[in-house]
Amino acid sequence: MSSVETILSSAVRLSVPLTFAACGEYVAERAGTLNISVEAMMLSGAYAGALGSSVMHNAGAGLVWGVVVGVAVGMMHGNLSHRFSANPFVVGITLNVLALGLTSYLLATVTMQPRQVGILTIPVLSHIPIVGRPLFSQRWPAFGLYALVPFVWWVVQRKRWGLELRAVGENPRAADVTGIDVNRRRRQALLWCGALAGLGGAFLAVGEVGTFNSNMTAGRGYIVIAAVIFGGWTLRGTIAGCFLFGGADALRLALPALGYTLNSQALVAAPYLLPLIVMCFFAQRSRQPAALAQPFERGAV
Amino acid sequence: MTTSGPTGVTPPAIEVRSITKRFGPVLACDRIDLSARRGEIHGVLGQNGAGKTTLMNILLGLVAPDAGEILVDGTAVAIHDPIEAARLGLAMVHQHFSLIGPLTVWENVTLGEQGRVDAGRTIRRVHETAERYGLAIDARARVDDLTTGQRQRVEIVKCLMRDPRVFILDEPTSVLTAAESLELFGVLRTVVREENRAVILISHKLDEILHATDRVTIMRNGEVVGRVETARTDADELAREMIGRVVSLESVGAAIGHLDLDAPPAVPPAARPVSVSPTITRDRERAMLSLRDVTAVAADGRTLLDRFSLDVRRGEIVGLAGTEGNGQKPLGDLLSSLLPIVSGTVEVGGVPVRCGRAGAMAAAGIGVVPEDRRAASILELSVAENLVVGDIDGICSRGFVNRRRLRALAQARVEQFAITTESIDAPMSSLSGGNQQRVVLARELSRNPGVLVAAQPTRGLDVGAIDYMTERIRAAAASGIAVLLISTELEELVALAHRIAVIHRGHIVGETAREDLDLQRLGLMMGGLAS
Amino acid sequence: MKARVGSATLTLAQFAAAIAAALGASAILVALTHGPASRVVSSMYDGSVNGWGSLGYTLDYAAPLLIVALGTIVTVRAGQFNIGQEGQLMMGGLAGALVAIRLPGPGPLVLVAALAAAAAGGALWAGVGALLRYWRGVDIVISSLLLIFVAAQVLAYAVNNPWFIQERAVGSVRLAESDQISSHVRLPRLGHYPHANVGSGVLLALALALTVGLLLTHSRWGFRLRVLGLNPVAARRAGIDAALVGGAAIVLSGAFAGLAGGVVLTSSAYRLTPTFSNNIGWTGLLVALVARNDSGAAIATAVLFGALEAGGSFLSTAGIPTDLVPIVQALVVLGVVLAPALLRRVRPAAVPA
Repeated sequence: MSSVETILSSAVRLSVPLTFAACGEYVAERAGTLNISVEAMMLSGAYAGALGSSVMHNAGAGLVWGVVVGVAVGMMHGNLSHRFSANPFVVGITLNVLALGLTSYLLATVTMQPRQVGILTIPVLSHIPIVGRPLFSQRWPAFGLYALVPFVWWVVQRKRWGLELRAVGENPRAADVTGIDVNRRRRQALLWCGALAGLGGAFLAVGEVGTFNSNMTAGRGYIVIAAVIFGGWTLRGTIAGCFLFGGADALRLALPALGYTLNSQALVAAPYLLPLIVMCFFAQRSRQPAALAQPFERGAV
Repeated sequence: MTTSGPTGVTPPAIEVRSITKRFGPVLACDRIDLSARRGEIHGVLGQNGAGKTTLMNILLGLVAPDAGEILVDGTAVAIHDPIEAARLGLAMVHQHFSLIGPLTVWENVTLGEQGRVDAGRTIRRVHETAERYGLAIDARARVDDLTTGQRQRVEIVKCLMRDPRVFILDEPTSVLTAAESLELFGVLRTVVREENRAVILISHKLDEILHATDRVTIMRNGEVVGRVETARTDADELAREMIGRVVSLESVGAAIGHLDLDAPPAVPPAARPVSVSPTITRDRERAMLSLRDVTAVAADGRTLLDRFSLDVRRGEIVGLAGTEGNGQKPLGDLLSSLLPIVSGTVEVGGVPVRCGRAGAMAAAGIGVVPEDRRAASILELSVAENLVVGDIDGICSRGFVNRRRLRALAQARVEQFAITTESIDAPMSSLSGGNQQRVVLARELSRNPGVLVAAQPTRGLDVGAIDYMTERIRAAAASGIAVLLISTELEELVALAHRIAVIHRGHIVGETAREDLDLQRLGLMMGGLAS
Repeated sequence: MKARVGSATLTLAQFAAAIAAALGASAILVALTHGPASRVVSSMYDGSVNGWGSLGYTLDYAAPLLIVALGTIVTVRAGQFNIGQEGQLMMGGLAGALVAIRLPGPGPLVLVAALAAAAAGGALWAGVGALLRYWRGVDIVISSLLLIFVAAQVLAYAVNNPWFIQERAVGSVRLAESDQISSHVRLPRLGHYPHANVGSGVLLALALALTVGLLLTHSRWGFRLRVLGLNPVAARRAGIDAALVGGAAIVLSGAFAGLAGGVVLTSSAYRLTPTFSNNIGWTGLLVALVARNDSGAAIATAVLFGALEAGGSFLSTAGIPTDLVPIVQALVVLGVVLAPALLRRVRPAAVPA
C-alpha cells in the first residue's frame, strides 16, 4: 500500500464512528435539539460495546449492546428535556459528566476480554487504485454506512416522519397546530440519535481499538456536533465534515512516521476551529433549523 | 352513526353544549352553547378576550375543556388533539402560526395528513383544489417567499383538501385587502352552497359578520349573549350585544369596526375633559417626527421599508393604515431602536437620530407603545421596575439603585395612570392586559416624549381599556405630542387621526386628511391599487 | 411575606430531597459494585469534614469551583449561556503561569500580576466567543463549547515547546509540563495542617461571592443585566446595548474562570500540565446550575461539591475508584433539575389564554 492509501484508509477508519454518530446528531438537530449528550451516548456505547463483546464472546453482539445503551441515554435526555422541560444543555452537560464518571468507575469493576470485529474486503472493488482499499477493505460494520447514509437522507427528506421532524425543528408551534406531537418527535429523534451514537461508540471500541479505555471517545462527540455545524445542517455537508475531521486525525497519526513534521496540536484543534470559522464567514448561508435549541411548551408563547 | 334529533331534523354539523374552561382566575368559556349547520356560514362575534379563540382551540383539541360536551353530526365526541379534530372533519384557518416557512407549499399541505408522502400527487391535488375555488397557488413555492395573502390561500386550500365537515376561520380578513376579503367570502359561499359544509367565521368586525354570515352567535366575557339571524339584525344591535351597553363612545365603535361614516368627523363629546379640534393650530408647519426616504432590509435580503417618508407634526395624530405585514412592524421596530436602516434619515425635532443604536430613539424623545405587549414589558420583573426601566439612570445614584426613589416614582405613576395592581412589587405578569398596557404607556409618557408611537394600541383589550387608551392618545396629542398611530383597524384610525397615510409593501402609497376621507379609495390604496 | 418563606422552605426541601436521592442512588451503585457503601461514606467523611485538616481541603476544592460558578451566574443573568469555562480556565492558568514564571520582581507583586494575567487570559478566550456572538451571531453555547478543545490544544502546545513554557531540561528529560512556580508567588496558606488551615484562595472566592451578590441585586449594572437577560428587546429600547452589556458579561465570566485557573495554579497545582484544569471548569458550571444562579446558594453548593472532591480523594484508600465523585455530582444536578419539573407535573401552573 502506498502512503496515500494508508492515510486514506486510516482517515476512513477514523471517520466511521464519527459518521455513525453524525447520522444521529443530524436528525436530532433537524428536530430542534442541539444534543450535547452525543458524547455521553458515544462513550457509554463504547463501554457497552466492549462489555457486550466480552460477555457474549462476540464482537458483533457488542455493537448491539452499544445501540441499546445509546438509546437508553437518548431516552433519559429526551424525557428530561422534552417531557419534563429541563434545559437541554444542562441535561446534556450533566449526562456527559455522568457517562464519563460511570464508565470510568465501572471499568475498574469488570475485566473485559479484548475482542474486535473482523475485516471485510470486497473482492473486485478493493483493487481500484488509491480509493479501493480505503473504501472497500474495512472492519465489516463500516460497510453499514453505505446503506445508512442514504437511508437517513431518505427518511428525513422523503418520509412523513422526516417531514414532521423538519417541521418540528423549524416551527414547533405551527407543527403543533397541524397535529404533530412536537416533543414526542423530538424524543424520537433523540432515541434515533442515541442508537446511532451508541453504535458509533461501540464501533470505536470493538472495531477500531478492540477494548475500552477510560474516556476513550475523548471529545469525539463534540467533533460530531462540530461536523453537523460545519455541514450547515445538511446531511451531505455533515458527512463531508466527518471525513475531513477523520482525515485530520489520520494525518496527525501518519505524518511523523512519514518524516513530515506538522503541528499535531493544530490538527487536533482543526475539527473544533473549522466550524467556528465557517460559521463566522458563512453565517447567512448555512441555515440552522429555526427552532434549534428552543424548547417547546404548548400554550407558552 | 348519525342519530336524528327528536324532531327528525338533521342534527347540526357541530354542536357544543355547556363548554366551560377556566384559566386560573379567568373564566374563558362559561357554559357555552353553539351550533353550526351544514350549508350555513355561522358567525361568532365577540371582542378580543370574549372567549372565541379558546372555544375554537377546544374544538381543535389544543385546549381541554373543564366541562361540557361536543357533538359532531349529533354524536358526542372527545377531542384530545388536533389529529382527532382533523379525523372528525374539523379544519381551521389560523390567524398565525400554522405554516412552516422553510418548507414548500405542498410539504405544508401534506403535513398533518397520514400515510405515505407523495410529492407529485400532493402537488396535483393542491392545484386541482386551488383551481376549483379560483385561488392561484404555486405548490412548489417555498412558503417564506409568499405574501401574507398568498399564505392564507395556502391555508384555505390545505384545510379544504381535507374535505372538512366544519371549516373554521379565525379573524381571516385582518391580513387581507378589501378585494382579497371579497374573494374570500366568495370562496366561503361556494363551500357552503355547493359543498354543503358548515363554516364558522370568527370575527370582531361587524361589517364582516353582516356581509358574510347567515347566523351569528355573539359572545361576551366568556358567555354567549345572543343568537340572531344575520338578515334580521343590524350593526347597532350586534354592537350592543357584543359590548353589553349602549354604544355611545365612538372610540369603542372605532375599535370594533362599527362606524357611521356620515357622522361628523372626530369631535369628542363636550363632556370629555380633553378635546382636540380637527384642525391643528399650533406649530402647524413644524414636523416633530420626520422620516425621509427610509429604506430598511431584513437579514435575508427582503425589503422591509422602501423609501418610506412621513411627517408627524406637534399635536397631530397621524394614522398609518395598511393590511398586516406591509411594513408596520419594521416601522415600529425602527422607532424602537431595533432596526438599522440602509438609507434615508429619521429626525426628531429637526435633529437626526442614529437608527438601530440601542436606546437612540428613546433618547431622542420617541415613546413607543409597541404592538407586541410581551416584548414591551418584562413580565418577570415587578410593576415598579417596569415603570422605571426606560430611565434606569434616573433611579440610580453612584451606580446603585436607589430603592426609595424607585418606589416613590413608581407609586406616583401607578396613581397618575390609575393602574390597578395589588402592589407595586407584584410581578408584571400578575396584571391584566389592560393594566400592562397602562404600565407601558405610563413608562413612555412619563419621559416627556416629543413623539408617541402607538402600534395596535387597543388590540386584545376590553372595552374599558380601549376607552382609556384612546382617551390617553387624544390627550397626548392635545398636550403637543406628535402621535403616530399604527393600526390595521381602519375605523380606529378614522375615529382618532387627523390625517391618514397608507403603507403598502413598506412604502407610503398615499395619504388623506380626515375631512376628505374616501373609504373606498383608502381601501384601494391599502391593496396597492390606487394612490 | 408568608408565601415567600413557604416557597423558600419548599426550595430547601427540594434541594435536600435531590441530594438525598443522588446519594442514595450512588450508595446503591457502590453496593452493587464494590461492596457495602458504609466504607465509602466513612472514607468520604474522613476526607472532607472529619477534622480541621479535611475541612480545609474541602474549602480549598470549593474555592475555584465557586469562582467559576460566580462568572457563570453573571452570564446567565445576561441571558447568555457560556459553557466554555473549562477552556477559559486553561487559558487563565496558561497566562498566569507565563507571568508567574517569567516576570521578575518581588513575590507578592508577581502573584498579583499572575492572578490578573490569569483573569485576562480567561477573559480573552471568552471574548472570542462574545465577539463571534455579537459580530457574527454565532451561538455562545456552540462557540464556547468548541473553544474548550482549542484551548486544550493551545495548552498542549505550550507545555510541549521549550520556547513557550515547557520546563527546563532535567538531565536529558523534558516532560510535557511547565516549571514549578517559585514558592514566593504562591497564594499563602492560613494555619497549618492538621490544625485549622485554608488557602487564601478561599477568602478571595468568598469576597467575590459577596461582591457579585451585592452588585447583581443592588447595582445599576445588575438591574441592566437582568433586564437584558429577561427581555433583550425591551432592553434595547431602553438603551441597553446587548453587545456591550451582554458581551461584557461573557468576558467577565471568562475572567472569573481564568482567575479560578490562576488560583488553582498558585495554590495547589504550582505548575502547568496538559490536564491541569482537571474538569474544574465543568464542575464549577454544575455548581452554578445546582445553585440556580443565586450567588448565595452557589457558596453552599461549592462547599458541597468541594466536600465531595475532598472526600473523593480518600476513596482510593478504600479501594474505590475516585470516578464515583463526578457520578454523585451529576446525580445531584439531575435531582435538582428534575425536582421542580416533577413538581410542575403534580401541580400544573395555570396558563392564561
